[in-house]
Amino acid sequence: MICKTLRISFLSSLLLFFVFSLVAAPSADDGKVLFRNYCASCHAKNMKSALTGPALGGAEERWADYPREDLYAWIRNSQAMIATGHPRAVELWNEYKPTVMTAWPDLTDEEIESILLYVNGMYDGTYGVAAGAAAGPVAQTEAVKESNGWLYGILLALMAGLAIFLARVIGNMDRLVAHKEGTEYEGKTLAQTLTSKGIVTFAIFALIVLAGYTTVNRAVNLGRQQTYAPEQPINFSHKTHAGLHKIDCQYCHDGARRSKHAVIPATNTCMNCHKAIKVGSKHGTSELSKIYASIGYDPIKNTYVDEEEYANMSQDDIKTMYVKWITEQYLVSNEIEALDAEGERIVEEQWKGILSSLTNEQKNKVQGPIEWTRIHNLPDHVYFNHSQHVAVGGVECQTCHGKVEEMDVVAQHAPLSMGWCINCHRESEVKFDGNEYYKSYENYHNELASGDREKVTVEDIGGLECQKCHY
Amino acid sequence: MKSTNIWIGEKDLTKDEKFMESVDKEFVSEDSVTTEAVLNQEGNRRDFLKMMGFGLGAATVAAGCDIPVKRAIPYVIKPDEIVPGVANYYATTIVEGGDFCNVLVKTREGRPIKIEGNNSSTITDGGTTSRAQASVLSLYDTNRYKAPQVKDGDGWAAATWDQVDAWMKGKLANGKIRVISNTVLSPAEKAVMNGFGTKFGNAKMITYDPVSAAGILEANETSFGDRVVPGYRFDKADVIVSFGADFLGTWISPMEYAQQYVKGRKIKDVSNPKMSRHYQVESQMTLTGSNADNRILVKPSEQGAAIAYLCNAIVGGVSVPALNAKAKKALDKVASDLRKASGRSLVVSSSNNPAEQILVNAINNLLGNYGKTINFSDAALTRSGNERDLEKLISEIKSGLVDTVIFNKCNPLYDSPIGAQLAAALANVPNKVGLLYAPSETAAICDVIAPVHHNLESWGDAEAKRGHYNLIQPTISPLFDTRQAGLSMLMWSGSDKLDKTSEQPYMTFLKGFCEENIFPKASGFGSFKSFWETTLKDGAAKISSGAAASGFNASVASAATQISKPKSTDLEISFFETANMGNGQGATNPWLMEMPDAVARTTWGNYLAVPVNFDGGRRMEALNGLKDGDLVTLTVGDKAMTVPVIQQFGQMPGTVSLALGYGRENSGAVSNNVGVNVNDCLTVENGLAHYYNASVSVSAKTGEEEHFSSVQYHGTYGVTADDKDGNEINADEATLGMAYGQGGYQGALTDRSVIYNTNVGELKDSIAHLEEKRAEAQHLNDQTLYPFDEYSADKYSQGHHWGMHVDLNACIGCGACTVSCMAENNVPVVGKKEVSRHHEMTWLRIDRYFYGDIESPNTVYQPMMCQHCDNAPCENVCPVSATNHSSEGLNQMAYNRCVGTRYCANNCPYKVRRFNWLDYTTADLFPANQPTLNGEEVPYGADNLTRMVLNPDVTVRSRGVIEKCSFCTQRIQEGKLTAKREGRKLRSSDVRSACQTACPTGAITFGDLNDKSGDLAKALKSPLNYIALEEINVQSSVTYTMKVNNRETSVEA
Repeated sequence: MICKTLRISFLSSLLLFFVFSLVAAPSADDGKVLFRNYCASCHAKNMKSALTGPALGGAEERWADYPREDLYAWIRNSQAMIATGHPRAVELWNEYKPTVMTAWPDLTDEEIESILLYVNGMYDGTYGVAAGAAAGPVAQTEAVKESNGWLYGILLALMAGLAIFLARVIGNMDRLVAHKEGTEYEGKTLAQTLTSKGIVTFAIFALIVLAGYTTVNRAVNLGRQQTYAPEQPINFSHKTHAGLHKIDCQYCHDGARRSKHAVIPATNTCMNCHKAIKVGSKHGTSELSKIYASIGYDPIKNTYVDEEEYANMSQDDIKTMYVKWITEQYLVSNEIEALDAEGERIVEEQWKGILSSLTNEQKNKVQGPIEWTRIHNLPDHVYFNHSQHVAVGGVECQTCHGKVEEMDVVAQHAPLSMGWCINCHRESEVKFDGNEYYKSYENYHNELASGDREKVTVEDIGGLECQKCHY
Repeated sequence: MKSTNIWIGEKDLTKDEKFMESVDKEFVSEDSVTTEAVLNQEGNRRDFLKMMGFGLGAATVAAGCDIPVKRAIPYVIKPDEIVPGVANYYATTIVEGGDFCNVLVKTREGRPIKIEGNNSSTITDGGTTSRAQASVLSLYDTNRYKAPQVKDGDGWAAATWDQVDAWMKGKLANGKIRVISNTVLSPAEKAVMNGFGTKFGNAKMITYDPVSAAGILEANETSFGDRVVPGYRFDKADVIVSFGADFLGTWISPMEYAQQYVKGRKIKDVSNPKMSRHYQVESQMTLTGSNADNRILVKPSEQGAAIAYLCNAIVGGVSVPALNAKAKKALDKVASDLRKASGRSLVVSSSNNPAEQILVNAINNLLGNYGKTINFSDAALTRSGNERDLEKLISEIKSGLVDTVIFNKCNPLYDSPIGAQLAAALANVPNKVGLLYAPSETAAICDVIAPVHHNLESWGDAEAKRGHYNLIQPTISPLFDTRQAGLSMLMWSGSDKLDKTSEQPYMTFLKGFCEENIFPKASGFGSFKSFWETTLKDGAAKISSGAAASGFNASVASAATQISKPKSTDLEISFFETANMGNGQGATNPWLMEMPDAVARTTWGNYLAVPVNFDGGRRMEALNGLKDGDLVTLTVGDKAMTVPVIQQFGQMPGTVSLALGYGRENSGAVSNNVGVNVNDCLTVENGLAHYYNASVSVSAKTGEEEHFSSVQYHGTYGVTADDKDGNEINADEATLGMAYGQGGYQGALTDRSVIYNTNVGELKDSIAHLEEKRAEAQHLNDQTLYPFDEYSADKYSQGHHWGMHVDLNACIGCGACTVSCMAENNVPVVGKKEVSRHHEMTWLRIDRYFYGDIESPNTVYQPMMCQHCDNAPCENVCPVSATNHSSEGLNQMAYNRCVGTRYCANNCPYKVRRFNWLDYTTADLFPANQPTLNGEEVPYGADNLTRMVLNPDVTVRSRGVIEKCSFCTQRIQEGKLTAKREGRKLRSSDVRSACQTACPTGAITFGDLNDKSGDLAKALKSPLNYIALEEINVQSSVTYTMKVNNRETSVEA
C-alpha cells in the first residue's frame, strides 16, 4: 500500500518535473516548490497573516508603483536595496527592522514570477483549483486503482452468483434424481449448508491462508520503520539549517565522507555557529540553551565554564546560570523590566525542557552528551559504510534520506530494507571515470570503449553479493 | 623405525578402531556427541518450544507494536583524532615481566580491540606472539582490580588512594623494605626503583623470573664479566644446536629468534637450496624440537653430560659423565658439523646450571661464534632475575630484617619453586603490599592492594635489548580506579621528580627521564621533542648500547666438574613453559586457555606427556599402557597429583613431561584449578631451579578425564588406513568400503595430498614428484562435464580474486595467528567441556602432522582455514544458499540466512566449518543454552566489559549458525575502500589478513591473485607450492609450500 502510494506520488512528481522542464515559463506549481524551499520559514502560507516576515498577499499591488525589476531586486537582496534608499524598501525596513530578510541572489526572474503566481493564487484562493488540475494524474491513477477494486467486486459478485447458481442446479439435479428414484428429497437448510463439511473446510483453509499471508507480511516488515519521525530532545530543524541557511550536510555530518558512520555532530560542532547565534528564530532560547547546558557554555559571559568545574557543577548552579540567561532574553524581547507571570511560566518551562532533554534514567546530570533518538537503524548483521556511498559513489544524501532540508522533524525516508538496497545496487552506475581503482575491471573498460556495454552497475562489480554487506 | 607415511598421532598410526570409525563422521564420534545437554535440560527444551509457540504469535502481535527506541549519543567535544567508525592505530609495547612485544594497537572510538605487529620495531619486525595478541582481552578482564583494596578480616574492603598512600607512609617510615619484581625492562621504572631504594635506605630490590635464566646470566658473568643473555643471530648460523632451549616458543626472546631462524629455513632458490641445520637435544618434544631437523634424545638429568660430551669433542679436556650411546654417536656427528661451520654456528642451552652454560660458552668461543652469531652489544635484557635473592629473602625475614614487602606485578607464591617456603616466611612480615593487576596466589596474602593499570592503559618504556629503546603509551584512559606501579612508587617515596599537579604525572616523569637519560644516547634527532614524538609514533628507536663484553675467560675443566650428574632412576620428568601459558601469566586469559598447545594440541589444562614405544609389530604402547585422556597419579618427590595423560611422540622413553603455568588458585574463574601446579616440583640445587625431577613415578590408569580437551583428532581428513586386505585407503572412506565389502571406493583416490615433505638433499626429486602429482590431479580435474575453466576464466578475469599462500617452512606452529583470528573475528571461547565435545570455534587451526622416524619424528605444522574453494562443495549442499560464492573468489557465509542444517560442514573436505551448538556469544534469550567455561556464575562474555573487545565490524554470531574463516572480508572491504577513496589501484599492503599481520615469521601471504606484481604473486612462483587435496577439484584458493627439512639421516634419535 505504502509502496503503491509512493510509486504514485513518485510518478506524479516525475510527471510534474517533466512538465516543469518542458515549459520554462513561470507556473504556480513551480512557485509552490520554490515558496516552500525559500519563503515558507518566514512567510505564512495563507499569504494573509504576518509571521517573521510580512504577509505576501497583495505584494504585487503594493509594489505596483515601481518597476517590476525593483521587486525582483528586493526579493534577491533586500538589504542592498535599503542601502540604495529605495522608498518602498525603506518603508518596509522601518516597519520590520531589525529582522533581516535572507538574500536569495540565485533566484531567476522566472522563478520569482512563479513564486508570485503561487502567492497570488493562494491569496485569492484560485491556486487550489489550479492545483486540482495539476494533480490530475494523481486523481486518475487513484481512479484506476478504485476501478480495480470495482473490477474485483464485480468479479467476486459474478463468481458468487455462479456458485449460487451452480449450487441451485446441483440441488435441482439432486431433486430430479430423488424424484426419478422415487425417494424423497431432503433439501438442506441454510444452516446446514453453512455448517457443511465443504464450507467449513473452505473457511478454515481461507483463514489459514489469510493468517499466513498476514503473518509473513507483518514479519517481513518487523523492525522496519519507514516514516519513523520520533520527537528529539532538541527541536532541531533541518529545514532551518540545511534548507534555509543552506549549511552543507557534511559540515555537521562530517563522518559521511570518511567513515562508515555519518556521525551525529558533537555539541562543539553546534557551538561553531551558536556561540554567535544565541537566540533561535523559531524557539528563541528554549532549544539553544540545551546545547549550552550540554557543553557548559555561559551565554551571558560568552565563555565556556571550565570543563572539570562544569562536570562537577550542581544542578542548582546550572539552573541558576541558564534561568538567568532565559530570563534576560525574555525581558529583552518583551521590552519589559521585570518578569511577569507569563515570563515566569516560560522560564520554568524552558528549564524543564532542558532537564527532560538532557537527562534520562541512565543519565541524571544535565551535563554531557545530548542523547538523540536514532532514526535510521540497520540490523546488527548489516554493514553499511557512508564513505563508500558518499565519497566514492557520489550518492546524494537525499537519495536515501529524502529531502531532509525540508523537514522540521526528520523522518525516515527510505524503507532501509534489503530489497531497497539491492534495487539501488542494480540500478546505480559505478563511477569508473577518473578512479584508478576501477582500472582492474579491464573487461568492462573494453566493453564500454567498444560500445558493447552501456554502463557498469554496482551489481556488475559484485554489489549484490552477501559478503559485501554481511560479515 | 621409519614410517613412510605422515601421521597425526598414535591413534592414527596404529589405526585405532574407534578413531578410524570416527573420522568419517560429520562432526564428532557418537559417544562424545551425547545429547547430554539436551537431556539435562529437558524442562528447558519444553520451555523453549513453548516460547517458540509464543514467539510466533508474539511476532504477529509485535508487528503492530513499537520497536524499541535506540539512542545515538554523540560526543560533547569530539577529539580531533577520533572519527567514529574509523580505527586509529597507536604504537606501543606489550611488556609482561621480561616478555615483550612491539605492537600497534587498533582502537575504535577510543577502545583497544586488536593487537597488530609493529613493522617499525627494531627487534620483532612486525611479528607478534599469542600472548601479546591476547593481552587486549586481559584489559577487559572482569576479574581485575577496580579500586585499591585493604584486607578486612578474611575479605577485602575497597579503599581510596589517599587511604592507601597514608597507610603506606606510616609503614614505609621504618624502612625495612623489599620490593619483589620480575625482570624490569623499563629504564624509567628501574630509575624509580633506585630512587625508592635511595629514599628508604634499607629497601632492597629483588628480581626473579617466573622461568629462571640465572644459570646463563651467571655463566656469562663468569666467562665474560657481563651478567646478561647475549644477542643471538639464528639467521647467521648454518648449524644450530640447542640443548633444551625452546627458543622458538618460550626461551628468552622467542619471537625475535623465530623470525631470524626462519630466514635460514626458507628455500629461496630451489636449484641451489640452502638451509640451516638444527639439532635439538632434549627429552620431551618442545615447539622448537618439533621444528628441528634432528632431535637427540637425552634424559633431563643427562643434559649436562651431553653438553660436556660435545664440549669435550670440540674443546677437549672435559671429563664426561655417562651418557646414552645413541646420543653420543649423534653428538659426534653434531661436533663434526659444528667444526665445519665455525663462525657460522650457534650452540644454546636452557640449562640453569652455570657450569653447563660455561661449557656452552666455551664451545661457542672455540667455534669463533662470538662477534658473529653471538654478541654482547645487543644483548637481550629480557631476563635479569636472580632467584637466589628470593632464598635470601626468606632467611632475612626469619632474622627479622624485613617488615614490608612490595610485590611489583609478580606472583612468586605461584611461580617460584620455593613459593611455599616464601609464603610461610611472609606470614611473619607485617606489611605486604601488592602492586598487582588481578587477584592471584600472591595477592591473596597481601594486606593492601594498590592495583596497577593494564599495559594498554600505561605510560612507560622498555629496553628489551641493548640499544633498542621502546615506548609504551596508553591507548585508553584507565577503565578503573587504578594507578601505575611506577607512579605509586614515586608517590610513596615522595620523589622530587614527580609533578603531582600534572594531568598525567607518570608521563611527565617519563618524558623528563627520557630527555635526561635516553635522548643523549640517541643520534640523528635535532631536539628531544622530535626524538620523543618519533619514538612515540614508531614505538621504537635505536640508541647507543654502550657495553661490550671482554673475551672468554673461564676454566672449562673446573666448570666440567660442577655440571649436573645423570640420575639413575627409571623415570624422570621435565617441566616446561608453553607459548600460550608462560609460567601462569597467560592462565587468566580465556583465549590463551583455549589455544591448543602447539605440540600436544591440548587446551584447558596441562597433560602429562608420556612416551609411546613401538612394539615391533603394529602396536604403539605408551608408558604403563596409558591412553590419551587417562587419569593417573603422578608422584613427584612427595607430592602426588592426579593428571590426565597424552601420548606424545618424540618423548624419550624413561621420561615424561608436564607443562608449567596451570593449577592457578585465587586467580579468578577462568584459571582456578585448571590443571595442576608443578612449580613446587622443580629440583632446586645450589639455589637455582632446574626444570626436571628424577624422583617421579606414574601410576597405572586410575580413571578417565571427564572432559578430554585435546583437539588433535578433531576434524581429521586425508588420513589413510588399511582395508581388510591390507591395502591402503582413505580412512574417510574406510567405513563405506567395508560396509559394501568392496575393494574400490568412492572416487578411488587413495593418496591424498594434504602434506608434502622432503629433505633438502632430495629436493629435485621431490619437485619432480610433486609436479607429477599435480599434473595427475589436474588431469583428473579436467575430466569433468562442467566447463569450469571457461566459467572461471570469465569469472575471475577482472577485479579481484583473493588467495592465500602459506609457507610451511616458515610456520613454526606458535599459534599467534589463531589468537589474532579470534580477536579479529569475534570468535567465541567455548570452554573445556565444549572443546572435549569437538565444539571449539576457531576459524584457523594449526594441524600438526608427524613424519619420518616414529621414535623421534619430524613435524609439519599446517595452518588450516577455509580454503575458499572456487568449486566449493559446501555451497552446493546448502538448502538456503546461506553460503555461496562471490565474484572475487570468496566463499561467503551469510549468518542470517543460515538455518543450521550443517550439510556444508559435512561436505567440507578440510573440516574448517564451525557450528554454534550453543549460545557461545551469550547473545541469546535463553541462558540455558549458554555454556560456562569453568563453572563461573555469569557465562563468559555476558557482561559489557568483556564485550568491549568485540570488533564492531564483524557480526557476533548467534546459536544455530555455521561460521568459518571469511578471509577477513572486513579487511578486504576496508582496503578496497581506501584504494577507491584515494583513486588508486589496490596495493598488497592495503589488505592483510589478521593471521598474516600476527605471524612472527611471515609464513602467511594474503592477496589478490589477479595482481601479478604483488606479494602473493611472488610467493606463488615457487615450484614447491601445492594445493591441499588438489585432486578433488574444489579449486582451493590457498596454496601451501612443501615442508623441507635438513635432517641428517645418519643421526638416529
